[in-house]
Amino acid sequence: MSRTHFLFGAVLVAGAVILAGGMISSRAFAQTPAVSAALADGSVGEQSDGYLGFNGTVSADVRSGVEAINIKRRAAYTDLAAKRGVTVADMAAATGCQTLASRVKQGQAYRIGGGAWQRKGAGPIPLPDYCATAN
Amino acid sequence: MTLETILGVPIAKKARFPAMLATLAVAGCIQVRAPDKPIEINLNVKVQQEVVVRLQQDAKELIQNNPELFPQ
Repeated sequence: MSRTHFLFGAVLVAGAVILAGGMISSRAFAQTPAVSAALADGSVGEQSDGYLGFNGTVSADVRSGVEAINIKRRAAYTDLAAKRGVTVADMAAATGCQTLASRVKQGQAYRIGGGAWQRKGAGPIPLPDYCATAN
Repeated sequence: MTLETILGVPIAKKARFPAMLATLAVAGCIQVRAPDKPIEINLNVKVQQEVVVRLQQDAKELIQNNPELFPQ
């Protein structure tokens, strides 16, 4: 293979990488508004276990966006849990107390334990007992 | 009832106080017995509560520092 051919090939590969990167980032970019819209309409909501959950069927964009967020949350919970010497589930549940107490807006969906999905009313969400010290 | 009335003999004023103490000591003898079982103090509740408080603080900071993970 001549030097020119090699250079041409390298340029092609670089171009493909840039193109793919752009597609991935634009897709990731499209997920966040999709997830926010799903949170607003209640098809996605916060759960007491510290993760986002699906309240019914959602689009592929919303699903992948929520799953990406949950994977990142789990990584963060795992880090903190190791630092504090607690289980990942405990760290996640402690965060769940906070999201239910301060992140869920009126009208948005939430779920406690394995219970049914509910909509937040005007008042604060009644939290599980172990959240007694939230806020 | 004082020692004077019990004994029927006057006691010097200075000696009265120790004498009263002696009466009390005899009358109100408190028996302290070592317990048969070891005394257990359960600290689990307090420790658990502290862990919860600390985790809530960590959780709050996590949310504040990573808003992209907690969209609204």
